[in-house]
Amino acid sequence: MPEVLSVEGLGKSYTGVRALHDVSFSLGSGEIRGICGENGAGKSTFVKILMGITQPDSGSIRIAGRARDIPGPRQAQGMGLGIVAQELSLAPHLSILDNIWLGSAGVPLLHRRQALRERAQKALDALGVGDWDLNGRVGALTMGQRQIVEIARLLARDTQVLILDEPTATLSDSEIERILAVLRELKAQGRSVIYISHRLGEIFELCDTVTVFRNGECVATKPVQEVSREGLIELMLGRPFDEMYPQHHANPDARNALVIERLTVPGMVHDFSAVAPRGKILCVAGQIGSGAAMVTRAAAGLLPDAIGRLTLDGKTLRLGSVPHCVARNVFFLSEDRAAEGLFPPMKVLDNLVATRLDAHAPLGVLSWRALRRIATHLAERVGVDRNRLGTAAVNLSGGNQQKLLFGRTLERTEPGVLLMNEPTRGIDVGARAEIYRLMRRLCDLGYALVMTSSDLEEVVGIADIVVTMYRGRTVARYEGERIAMSTILADITHPAEQAAR
Amino acid sequence: MTGKGDTVRGTREMSMPLAPDWRLLPTAVRAVVIVALTVACVATPGFFSLPNILSLLTTVSFMGCVAVGMTLITISGNIMSFSLGATAGAAAMVFIVAVNIGGIGIGLIAALAVAALVSAAQGFAVGWVRANPIIVSIAAVALIYGTAEIFTRHSSIYFKPGTGIEILRGKLGGVPLEFVVLLCVTAAGQFILYLTRFGRNLYMMGSSFRAAEAAGVKTWRTVTGAYLWAGAFTGLAGVMLAIRYDGANMDYGVGYEYDAIAAVLVGGTLMKGGHGSALRTLAGAMIIAIVQAMLLLRGFRQEWQYLFTGLIVFAVILLHSSGERR
Repeated sequence: MPEVLSVEGLGKSYTGVRALHDVSFSLGSGEIRGICGENGAGKSTFVKILMGITQPDSGSIRIAGRARDIPGPRQAQGMGLGIVAQELSLAPHLSILDNIWLGSAGVPLLHRRQALRERAQKALDALGVGDWDLNGRVGALTMGQRQIVEIARLLARDTQVLILDEPTATLSDSEIERILAVLRELKAQGRSVIYISHRLGEIFELCDTVTVFRNGECVATKPVQEVSREGLIELMLGRPFDEMYPQHHANPDARNALVIERLTVPGMVHDFSAVAPRGKILCVAGQIGSGAAMVTRAAAGLLPDAIGRLTLDGKTLRLGSVPHCVARNVFFLSEDRAAEGLFPPMKVLDNLVATRLDAHAPLGVLSWRALRRIATHLAERVGVDRNRLGTAAVNLSGGNQQKLLFGRTLERTEPGVLLMNEPTRGIDVGARAEIYRLMRRLCDLGYALVMTSSDLEEVVGIADIVVTMYRGRTVARYEGERIAMSTILADITHPAEQAAR
Repeated sequence: MTGKGDTVRGTREMSMPLAPDWRLLPTAVRAVVIVALTVACVATPGFFSLPNILSLLTTVSFMGCVAVGMTLITISGNIMSFSLGATAGAAAMVFIVAVNIGGIGIGLIAALAVAALVSAAQGFAVGWVRANPIIVSIAAVALIYGTAEIFTRHSSIYFKPGTGIEILRGKLGGVPLEFVVLLCVTAAGQFILYLTRFGRNLYMMGSSFRAAEAAGVKTWRTVTGAYLWAGAFTGLAGVMLAIRYDGANMDYGVGYEYDAIAAVLVGGTLMKGGHGSALRTLAGAMIIAIVQAMLLLRGFRQEWQYLFTGLIVFAVILLHSSGERR
């Protein structure tokens, strides 16, 4: 396998903080390389250097055998390196064709549409989607299809090494399958792929070799056949790993519960009913667009057009009013923490007490002393360093941010209900286990937890009750021993089975 | 308490090491501005004379009250309102009419109530209907001007004799009454922002509207509240204008919204919301007023004041944006 990219002794520090230290890395043509590591392990710095966004302090890079400097993204493009970033960079109002050539160094001032069109068509053909209309608007495509347009964009620029940073975080299972198939196709054509993901299942399924980063160093590179799942996690953590999912508990308070009856959200959820007992985790499983995420949103009062009947401990819960839900200790944790959960520029302290100002503001005037005391206590409860109360929330890691949001919901007068969408999205393995433990602790306190997740392994690992959904309708309900990955997968992906039920 | 340096280091996650410390840039700029201003003031003959200082403290007060009001709107994430200048003019006129009818007390209540309501109505449009705040304020300017001009037929109105308005033109311990009012307004603004639940909600909404909704903040009430207070503070500016100039017409308010925006920006309150304070705005208003007074003393005409204010605002916007890009 000829070498397309190799890196020797790469190092990078930011004002005293070592982000990358003596990293050596080599990638062959037609190789798919997985990169794993906790947040902050140096993965993104590594990618930024390859893309010319930051410059290394030391080390050398060779591309196709020649020593190169990568002064900027444009040059990286010219050398055959390309990235599909976590946030897609497509213009939804432009056509697929325009998006493929958007920002390309190879487009002359006067567009020669015909030539560009042919090359774009070739790129789509190579990805097995030659039947797509190049004039179609990108805005009309699903997230997965957009991801493929991004890849086509790289192909049209003759990219030899494709870097994909968490490409599947927002995709449904069938879309993920499609992306993985496309990447295998690229491998067959002799191109190389660097695949960064928190989802270990995908790494094992797709990659030839895997490189693990930890604390800015490259700690191991191994063929995937030679490493076990647990081994990989231990390499990432740097310590033995006991148990991802904590024990389920035997004695929940099943008398009281959140009861959802005939919940309907026009166009998204049809006639959904379920019971979420206190002390248990109810998981609504479904692909993106199945309506699962809308069930939790509606229950949290975020969807004004939702209809149905919700009761908590026998008392009616009004739909469509978040303040009402918060007053009843029903909280929503969004899948989009940055936009719908945190107040990024505000302090950790402010973020922790955001939903309990009412209780500590006689006549609207805040008692900061009480709030500070509560925030300190909450930070300790969820495991956020109390010395960081004054830090802006945006500067915390994903895991700490999520803990912060959990903290908001704790220590109420009575245990509440937590409605969570994708509670561990973008969170690395170490912090993930902590989040799961936190969820179990909440159950012990008598909270009822309702969550949605597109990570089936997580669903099977953490849920006490699973309700599967397909296209807005409930498919089936499982409890305890009957929860199995294969049946859930079948439920949420195959309409035929649903028709047979 | 940790020092500033400690917090900066503490905030840095290993995962996102950013480039050199650009956070020091604002501090550096602040230092340079203060030094430059001081030098310029000392070098300007007559700057530290009593009449100049008194006139400076008076002029800054009108703009300052509007600016503190504007700060609440900006922090709430609704950028700015162009209608506050017109609101000040209208409040001045309402004040005179009401004083002529029922005396100073009635005048004050009427002026503040009208200004607060006119502004709160805009807040309701922004918060409840989710209308674009800039567009709403532009529409409001036309509405306020139109209504006022119809009633006054484009003429000035004056106090009738014997209202006793003269006593409000005095000083308190040598400081113009207007400036005392500005200090009170700033203190009130600061109190609202830092010590009330409403103030916290403003910051939350400004830093992330969707997160605020998801956290159960009653967003439309909060927005309306921000505009209501902005209107009330602006109304106070209008009242002071009427008293100081012994009359009012709609042209009195012209330009105050622009100076107020400049003061908010120079003070360092972020246009995208969620960050800022009334004290910052007071500082910003002082800087703008000092520069304007200095230009006046050095014999530049009003046009030059506009030009310089424009340049300052532009420079501040560039500075803010360069901070964001990094």
